[in-house]
Amino acid sequence: MSSLQVAVAIAAIALLASIISVELSLSVAIVEIVLGVVAANLFHLHSVPWLDFVAAFGSIVLTFLAGAEVDVGLLRAELRGSLLVGGVSFAAPFCGALLYAYFVAGWSFHAAEICGIALSTTSLAVVYAVLVETGLNQRRIGKLIMSATFVTDFGTAGALSILFIKPNLWFVAFVAVSVLMIWLFPKASPWFFRRYGERVIEPEIKLVFFLLFCLMLLGKLSLGQAVLPAFVLGLAASRLYESHRLEQQRLRVVAFAFLTPAFFIKGGMNVSLAALGANLGLLGVLFAIKQSTKIAGIFPLARGYVGGDALYLTLLMSTGLTFGTISSQYGYQAGIIDKAQFSLLITVVIASAVIPTFIAQRWFQPGPEPDERQRQKSPAPRPAVSEPTASGPTVSGPTEREGA
Amino acid sequence: MYDKILVAVDGSAGADKALAAAVTLAESFGAELYSIAVEGHLPAYAATLGEVDEAKAEKDAYFEEIDRAARAYAAARGVELRTVKVVGDPAERIIRHAEQGGFDLLVLGHKGHSRARRFLLGSTSDKVVDHAPCSTLIVK
Repeated sequence: MSSLQVAVAIAAIALLASIISVELSLSVAIVEIVLGVVAANLFHLHSVPWLDFVAAFGSIVLTFLAGAEVDVGLLRAELRGSLLVGGVSFAAPFCGALLYAYFVAGWSFHAAEICGIALSTTSLAVVYAVLVETGLNQRRIGKLIMSATFVTDFGTAGALSILFIKPNLWFVAFVAVSVLMIWLFPKASPWFFRRYGERVIEPEIKLVFFLLFCLMLLGKLSLGQAVLPAFVLGLAASRLYESHRLEQQRLRVVAFAFLTPAFFIKGGMNVSLAALGANLGLLGVLFAIKQSTKIAGIFPLARGYVGGDALYLTLLMSTGLTFGTISSQYGYQAGIIDKAQFSLLITVVIASAVIPTFIAQRWFQPGPEPDERQRQKSPAPRPAVSEPTASGPTVSGPTEREGA
Repeated sequence: MYDKILVAVDGSAGADKALAAAVTLAESFGAELYSIAVEGHLPAYAATLGEVDEAKAEKDAYFEEIDRAARAYAAARGVELRTVKVVGDPAERIIRHAEQGGFDLLVLGHKGHSRARRFLLGSTSDKVVDHAPCSTLIVK
């Protein structure tokens, strides 16, 4: 297929995925991956160089956005618990999956590392949607889950960048530029945003793209990965975006309209259904390893923080999606894992987005807090209702909000 | 007979009929009238927080307008309407709110789902009728 034909196909898939996502209230990312699988396996759609490039940039933009979404204040408030739970949430499945893939499944050591990284993740976005829906984002358990997820994300981004370093002279420049960028961006960007921002030509987004492309170039020259610096750069930008929400929204618009569809569809296109069919046993084992190591590591710690809701916290910390996909894609693009291994990892990642979330919501959702339980036992107080005035009916105040 | 009435609103024609009936009942019985708007599910298994935040913001804006219109409608008929917005599964959240608020009548609109959808998923009104802690009126 020509580049233009592939572009038409990708645009059609991205559009269809958006429609399905809206109709089913399902994440567009998962629909894009699934449609990518269908397009490649049933209709033999293959990637072209421009799609590989856009997908790679999409993954770096996603990583930057993930960093920018970190709530630093929340992380500080729950620092000890977050470090413990988030650290173990990364380390336990990373070690478990790496050891199994290397010693039992017979993968190469680097492939086993990719397996460990891809299965160590926790999806902040999956967790966040659940917490907002249930109102738990306002409670301690929700705050702890979210802040611990930031730590797990950091571990994943760090491992992906550090484990595959092959130091050369460019590596020094890569580290120096990354550190300079991360230090300078929060200092210089407020001035830049004031001087050049709020224009339809979007200098702010161009600045971010320029920095991310620089990181990608230096990462490539130094035979490294731009994931960690992109994540930390996003983290450094998170304060700035708190006061420039519109700018963050515009960046998301650009990412969601073009870059992330390319990334997720391309991810789906790399999946081989035949390879999956031939390795169903291993698929089940890898999924079980991710879940069992998360449970074994997190559950005992979580009991100390949230008592009876520890299993709910543990299950939500066992979800994964974006960073798992990014890690697997990196491994495949770099030739570290083959198509069958990639297919297995991406399928386990998607299953881990869906299954633990469903189980947690269905059977382990925390009950009301003690004071709320008390309120429910006693008769509900009747709110005072203002009398209609002589001049006409009264209208109540602003709408109350529950659970969000 | 009824002191505290809860009506579910979502901007649909069925919900509008339910609101009209609930206002009439509140007028007749001198009851307190409350509405609940359930924003429905956020995108499940999202890839970024932004996807969730923006879906939430869109739903908030939509249901804010629904609530404003409902309050204005009730006010025009001399009834004060207190509104509440929640997120999640409509049937589950309506039932939970009815339990917590001590309501004695729930009013819902009827939605004409296809037989297939009704068979596969059931309807919100079916689920609420089955599990509501108080009398429930389905308005057609």
